[in-house]
Amino acid sequence: MRREIFRMERVTCIEQGITQLEDFNLQIYEGEIMGLLLINAYGAQAFLRLLGSNLPLYDGYIYYGGTMINSWRSFGKGYNRISIVQTQSSLAEGLTVSDNVFVIRRGFRQRIIRPALLQRQLEPFLEEIGMEISADMYVEKLTAFERVVVEILRAVILGHRLIVLCEISTIINGAELEKLHEIIRHYASQGISFLYISLHYEEVFQICDRTSLFAHGRIQKVSRKPEMEADARRFYCGEYPQMVQGRLEQIQKVSRERKEILFFDGISCDSLKNLTFGVREGECLVVQSLREGVFQKLVGLLVGEEEVTGGKVRMEGRQVRFRNNKKIAVLRGEPTKTMLFPELNNMDNLCFGLSRRMPRVWSSRKLRDSIRQEYRKELGEEFFSLYPDQLSERQKCRLVYTRILLQRPRVVFCIQPFRGADLPHRMFIWQMLKMLLDKNIAVVILAVNLADSMSLAERLLRVSASGVEEEIDRSAFGMLPPTVPWNYLYQEEGIQNLEEEKDPPWPSAR
Amino acid sequence: MKRLSGLHYISNRVLLMGGVVFGLFLAQSILLLVLFFQEKASFWLPILHLALFFGGVAAFLFWIVHPYFRAEQLARRFLDGYILDSKQNLQMALLTPSSKEQWEAVERVLHSPQIMELNKRQAQYLALQNQINPHFLYNTLESIRGEALIAGLDGVADMTEALAKFFRYTITKVENLVSVEEELDNCETYFRIQKYRFGDRLMLHVEYETEEFEEIMSCRIPKLTLQPILENSIIHGTEPKVGTGNLKIRFERTDSRLIIRISDDGIGMDDETLARLNRRLGRDGKTLEYHREPEKGGIALVNVNNRIHLIFGEEYGMHVYSMAGAGTDVEITVPTDLDEEEIRRRGIL
Repeated sequence: MRREIFRMERVTCIEQGITQLEDFNLQIYEGEIMGLLLINAYGAQAFLRLLGSNLPLYDGYIYYGGTMINSWRSFGKGYNRISIVQTQSSLAEGLTVSDNVFVIRRGFRQRIIRPALLQRQLEPFLEEIGMEISADMYVEKLTAFERVVVEILRAVILGHRLIVLCEISTIINGAELEKLHEIIRHYASQGISFLYISLHYEEVFQICDRTSLFAHGRIQKVSRKPEMEADARRFYCGEYPQMVQGRLEQIQKVSRERKEILFFDGISCDSLKNLTFGVREGECLVVQSLREGVFQKLVGLLVGEEEVTGGKVRMEGRQVRFRNNKKIAVLRGEPTKTMLFPELNNMDNLCFGLSRRMPRVWSSRKLRDSIRQEYRKELGEEFFSLYPDQLSERQKCRLVYTRILLQRPRVVFCIQPFRGADLPHRMFIWQMLKMLLDKNIAVVILAVNLADSMSLAERLLRVSASGVEEEIDRSAFGMLPPTVPWNYLYQEEGIQNLEEEKDPPWPSAR
Repeated sequence: MKRLSGLHYISNRVLLMGGVVFGLFLAQSILLLVLFFQEKASFWLPILHLALFFGGVAAFLFWIVHPYFRAEQLARRFLDGYILDSKQNLQMALLTPSSKEQWEAVERVLHSPQIMELNKRQAQYLALQNQINPHFLYNTLESIRGEALIAGLDGVADMTEALAKFFRYTITKVENLVSVEEELDNCETYFRIQKYRFGDRLMLHVEYETEEFEEIMSCRIPKLTLQPILENSIIHGTEPKVGTGNLKIRFERTDSRLIIRISDDGIGMDDETLARLNRRLGRDGKTLEYHREPEKGGIALVNVNNRIHLIFGEEYGMHVYSMAGAGTDVEITVPTDLDEEEIRRRGIL
């Protein structure tokens, strides 16, 4: 007999007149790793809010450990004993690991805090999961992976029976993800339940016992382990795989004789040494950081926050400076939030891309009219006079990419372009990046987790603090871990067998 | 203007009057406070006034406004198709002594044994389409079976036997609650009949934890719970599909509930249809919403769901999961521990 830890029964949640969750059913058993695959993210935030605290429901019931904790009949009170680990830290900065784990919790009544004692108490927990984290380290110095582990530890020590992990793979790399999965399995075997929220089914299948497919604020399907892949493949056998397949076929046809346009020759900065790689025109290159610190340094280099201490950047053989180079564009992480100026209208935002190439764009009405004329069909007539805040996420995204296009760069560096995007949005970003590639612009994607980037890539570079560790050509992508999306397509036979896999066999039954 | 036009509702007038009274009270408190600072009034008078003001506001909010909005929410839910099913709910919806009587009358109608009987009958009609004289039917089927055996037509004999067994369970057995074992047996009989039509194009799998077999099979569920759903899965799920259709019945037991999941790998349904179906299942089919929007399809599911709600309460019931092209799962939840006295009192057995 299985024991239910958490259950949402026909929950309908309406916030400010908008239905966020409708007839939402979810049950999680003791010691189970339940996957929540986000087909689209509508309602996901409301769901997380409901997990954390007992907000008013329009309909339905929520149970935790067999007790009703919230229902439409009564306004819920207080917070639930459920831990939610997200991409943003929930640890208190300025305090040490042991302070966060032991001191900031209900029931801690000691007036004098003895760090040595707390450290000794934490040690067995760390040893149990094979982690080496200093208990007196300040939490802001932890890597993303260590921070996630500390949050899980805190939940375990607090006695929470359900831990929610939300899109963690977007901030940690493949090796760390494997270690995290080991830790999750370890605690699951001790009876702690996990809700593993992710945007990628390949990742969810590796770890979860069951998976719920979440879309439009509803659970569309619940699959058990043997059925998971078949169900998700059926769902994903739509436009996206065809787009990816088309791209893979396109890559196969491309001749290898393309001109190298940008070359990083032994670039060094602070803790990153001797970064050497080249990129060809119209090529998509994925640069994966094997350590979180390295990723931050790379991002710092691109956005101009890190000082280059050595090495040269060459463009078509000539030495150039990286910063303020109009031939190089940088697409920051979450570009719709970081790259648009909300106080400027969309036309002015667009002109920012062009102003480096044509400084008179601000004064020339004719030039602005020609931009309007050129993009009227794609963006719409009224688009230019609106402001970014009046646009949908997709329109904002289009605005950013159009701005890049207007700059007409030779190379675009993208920092985790797919991070946090749901399936329809990922498809849209994918199309935008492909549009850049089709215009013969080289795209360099900086990633921690490979995810969708690989479906565009022709090469993968794995970078550590000492430079490029490994270069993997597209022909060897099939050897990447199975958690990498579209892995089956990267294998040569995968492309041919796609049609056959549309109707996978029914899993064996008793 | 829009706000003012709402004043023909007494509730709005009460709220407005409350606001005005407290506003005047507050103004008086402030005036007394000003007089105190001008040394024309004592210190305690404004303090007392303010304390009375805040006390009055708190009482007004928690004693009148909050219960009023709860009652309003319940009435709104009822109009949306949800049902008031317990005394606790009714107590929250009371505005006047007569409104109490009104709600109780509604509850009496909705929970009457006649409604239960009506639902049961509807299930039988759905299974049979037409009412047939049972004894005449059994006798005829037995005769056909006998003839078939004499003629060496084992297939026909077997099919006839299955049909007779199916009808006997559907028509003759009068209880509302049956064991899972009986219900599953009826499903297998029904499947045996369908196999003659579909052959190897249709497969049935039954799954459960072996160590829980006895406990699961002895659980009690409403009669004709599984078969109508199985039938739905075949007709709407696997029949339109090209290739072999697989049906699966999976039983799972937790400490308080029995979860039955009937799955097919058929054509599934689109988002909109699924949302509409679950909406109908979430709200009880006999309420105002149901009468306002007669919808085609899913009647068997709504019927089974209604009976579960009537017997076990609205915490239990049915939920559908589906995706276009990826099959449909119908999940039924019933309690494992039944309150026999309550069931007997309401004439469910």
